[in-house]
Amino acid sequence: MIFGYGGLGRAEQRRRHIDWFLIGAVAGLLVLGTLAIFSAAVPLPYHAQIIHRHFLGIGLGVIVFLIGMWLPYQIYDEQWKILYAISVALLIGVLISGEMLRGTRGWFKLPFFSFQPSEVARVCMILCLSAFLNRRAHKIKTLGAIVYAIGLVLPVLFLILKEPDLSSTLVLFPAITAVLFCAGAHGLYLGFLLGCGLLSFLLTVAWTFFSIRTDWLESSALIRFFMELSHLNVTLVITCVGIVVFFFVAWWVCARLGIPIPAVYFVALATIILVGLMAGNIMESQIKGYQRSRLVTFLDPAVDPRGAGYNLLQARIAIGSGGVTGKGIFSGTQSQLGFVPERHTDFILAVVGEEMGLLGTLAVLGLYLLLLGRIFNAARVAQDRFGYLVACGIGAMFACYLFINAGMSVGIVPVAGVPLPFVSYGGSNLVMSLWSVGIVESIHSRRYTIA
Amino acid sequence: MRHELSFDRLNQLSAGVYLMMGLLALRFVDLQVIRHSYYAKAAERNRTQTIIQTAPRGRVFDRTGNLLATNRPAFSLVFLPSLTKNQTYLSRLAKDMAPYLKKTDEELLRELQVAFETGSPVRLAENLPPKTMFNLAELRTLYPGVDLVVEARRYYPYGSLASHLIGYLGSIDSKTWLRLRDRGEYRKDSRIGKAGLEKLFERELRGRDGGILLEVDAHGKLQGILQQMDWKPGMDIALTIDSKLQRAAEEALRASHSRTGAVVVLDPQTGAILAMASVPDFDPNLFMIPQDEEVSARLKSLPEFNLAAQGTFPPGSIFKIVVAAAGFNEQKIFSAEKFFCPGYFQLGPRTFLCWDKKGHKLLDFLPGFAHSCDVYFYQFGLKTGADLIEQYERKFHLGMLTMGSNRKEDERFSLPGEKKGLISGPGERARRKAHGGDWYQGDTVNLSIGQGELLVTPIQMASLISTVANGGSIWKPQFVEKVISQDGHDIYQRKPELSGTVNLKPETWDLLHQALIQVVQDGTARSGHVSGIKIGGKTGTAQNPHGEDHAWFVAYAGLPGKPPSLALSVLVEHGGHGATAAVPIAKKIIEVALKPNDRPPEGSLPKEVPPKNGEQE
Repeated sequence: MIFGYGGLGRAEQRRRHIDWFLIGAVAGLLVLGTLAIFSAAVPLPYHAQIIHRHFLGIGLGVIVFLIGMWLPYQIYDEQWKILYAISVALLIGVLISGEMLRGTRGWFKLPFFSFQPSEVARVCMILCLSAFLNRRAHKIKTLGAIVYAIGLVLPVLFLILKEPDLSSTLVLFPAITAVLFCAGAHGLYLGFLLGCGLLSFLLTVAWTFFSIRTDWLESSALIRFFMELSHLNVTLVITCVGIVVFFFVAWWVCARLGIPIPAVYFVALATIILVGLMAGNIMESQIKGYQRSRLVTFLDPAVDPRGAGYNLLQARIAIGSGGVTGKGIFSGTQSQLGFVPERHTDFILAVVGEEMGLLGTLAVLGLYLLLLGRIFNAARVAQDRFGYLVACGIGAMFACYLFINAGMSVGIVPVAGVPLPFVSYGGSNLVMSLWSVGIVESIHSRRYTIA
Repeated sequence: MRHELSFDRLNQLSAGVYLMMGLLALRFVDLQVIRHSYYAKAAERNRTQTIIQTAPRGRVFDRTGNLLATNRPAFSLVFLPSLTKNQTYLSRLAKDMAPYLKKTDEELLRELQVAFETGSPVRLAENLPPKTMFNLAELRTLYPGVDLVVEARRYYPYGSLASHLIGYLGSIDSKTWLRLRDRGEYRKDSRIGKAGLEKLFERELRGRDGGILLEVDAHGKLQGILQQMDWKPGMDIALTIDSKLQRAAEEALRASHSRTGAVVVLDPQTGAILAMASVPDFDPNLFMIPQDEEVSARLKSLPEFNLAAQGTFPPGSIFKIVVAAAGFNEQKIFSAEKFFCPGYFQLGPRTFLCWDKKGHKLLDFLPGFAHSCDVYFYQFGLKTGADLIEQYERKFHLGMLTMGSNRKEDERFSLPGEKKGLISGPGERARRKAHGGDWYQGDTVNLSIGQGELLVTPIQMASLISTVANGGSIWKPQFVEKVISQDGHDIYQRKPELSGTVNLKPETWDLLHQALIQVVQDGTARSGHVSGIKIGGKTGTAQNPHGEDHAWFVAYAGLPGKPPSLALSVLVEHGGHGATAAVPIAKKIIEVALKPNDRPPEGSLPKEVPPKNGEQE
């Protein structure tokens, strides 16, 4: 291995190897976000509290960031089981004694702030999965690796869904898939995994879609049957058995006819459908009312233009009306007069877009580009496989946050309830996001050293 | 490599991420640059709401400056819808407000929902009484989006006075709105002149509405006033009407036997309409009241028919003026020529009665005219001949619109719906081919006393007597004295307009005047005599086969030694005898106009009165 800067002490070396661009990107996003939160909070009755907590979050986040940067990241690799245990314990704990907030039992109420275990869990899961895959690097191409990896993550995903916190799941699932992808998992198995995820999501969308088309429901027996599958009942069980039988027969026929299709494809397809159905069922039962209605309006905006579609439309109006240079901070009519809902949290981009214009939104995108670029760079220069995987996972996670949040704000993604890290108001998310960046810094600054 | 991994997967992942970011950037450009103006407008619509404030319409004065139509500030309750309000809010609001607005919860809720769905403000109530306003002001603090605005509302201080002339306002109908909306001055809830002056001079009277541009938040709560757009009042109109005469005429008609009739008072020297009454009439203020069932019912049976210009009747004996003018002017007969009246007249197998069955015995023109002896005029007419009589009908512009005009721009100065009436005579009958087109002697007999096919309107008769009074000038009746723009300029100033001249020999005029004065002095209109005033007139009783006869009286009046300053016609529909039903009405009007002592002291300003109307103090 190469030792750079021979004469310098380790701490000095690391400081020199700090990725200031990464820190700059995060700082830039925080500045933009703080401005937007300030502006969005002005008309709110509890704005002092919001600003107070935001700075508390930044302060705590900076400490956590420094700890993350200072700690050799390999420690997570060594102690991943403890991390896993902490995550599960927190998630179980919050289900038992958590605060109910907006229909979700996902918060611990602490003296100064509330704290969301699912935020801790999502970072921990990336670390744990990376550690796990790091140990099975030689078997990564096998089906076993995937199955075990899923087995590892599934309980946590389930606990998060149980809260229910669909949005954390939405971010975590692609991030986990990205880690597996970067780890070099077999394309077929990854396809299998994505297939299950996509199918369950598409099934939810389809069930929702058909449920608003009552006239189709009455006219088509096929659709009625399809709707039957949306919850656990005899039809579902029979269908599952039917699917298994169908694929078995298909394989048997193919084998008899001498068509050389490996059995694994049949098993995979059948499992995708079965798992997709099950996962779709769980999603269907956990989806929240407001999420459902957003889905409905995304599918058919004419259903209720004044109701659920209102939020999405108002956010789009805010962004579009900002133009190139924006209306000026504190002067956005859409945000200041309360037309944009959740404007300091989920729809913070609407505030940025309206008050800072295209310059603001492109600045956010540009800073995210820098952030993700530096994280992926850290992955490339990481001195070991674990660091590489962690950086990939964290990068993928931030990308997911960006796509879902921004996509929702501009009306190309239906589901919502996902914050934009560093820009949205939200303490737990901010602290945990800063921790993730600290970990990436740790990976970056230790790229030349041997643990 | 430090670890046995290729970066292919990472490169693919990051490429995908950058691609997605590029798409997001394009979407931002799409929203914020390409479709910016659309969203900017949407945002502006969100935060602003406009309340239109109806501008005051131009005022209408009478000739002495009395206000006949003006405006009063009125409070309206408006509801500013906002997107965040929900059904429960609306129904709660409806329930709380309904008792104050005399509406049911359901009605109010429906109105609120329309506003909510269309996103535009709605007037929930207009012209609120102070008490209701006070109550609602309290509610306003509880319900954001409910507000009170002040507006100018049309008000007619004298109620039904001259209502047929002034007309009324009504909601704009959808057809008119479609036609006018491009002018940008009307809204769907605008009021527009529906009849009379309000309709004829809609363009002048209507002001430009003002408004308030409000900023509201997502809950419809008022944030502030962005812009106040001042209204511009409409132009004022001064009428030739004298409200004292008008009122006297209307009151007298209302007190008459049948409570139905018309009075037209003209200035015989200029054609100015001093009064034009038609009873039954209506109170145009009714149209400004929010419509409840009672009001709607009253509006349905609205007496919109202006008898003075639209009612056609046989003239009866007042037509004897025309017959006499024809006979004497054409020298077919001499005033001293006597006829015998036994109470009836035999023409071949037919018998024509005189109104007085006792008969008038032997008499010449002056007593024959003063007592309106029918038998005298049967023979007078036969001697004059129907052709000549018809010729004189035309000479006096019977069968023509008194206010008709050839110029399109003058149309607004004439009353809409005026009737022409019918000429009667051999020529007209031949032209119409009525009764086979043939004219018989019996027809001439009937025509001589104003019966038969002849039909005239009260305003035609007023014009007739005015022509006689001034010695042959047929002035076009006019009712608009001035149109005054808001900056004080006269846009229009009335100029007397001659629509024709009747050229008769001076002796004929003298004889007619003598005869008309005799009628009032010791003839059928004796009861109409007013001491100290020179009055000439003629009564008429138009036979009506369907009911009681119509009572007529036409007269001119003036101070002694001065030209007549008043020419009037009175018609009491189904009033019976002209002498008993119509004459007292005319007498009252003449007294009010020419007997200064009898008038109550009034502070009204003597304004713009033409000198010839020398009745002012």
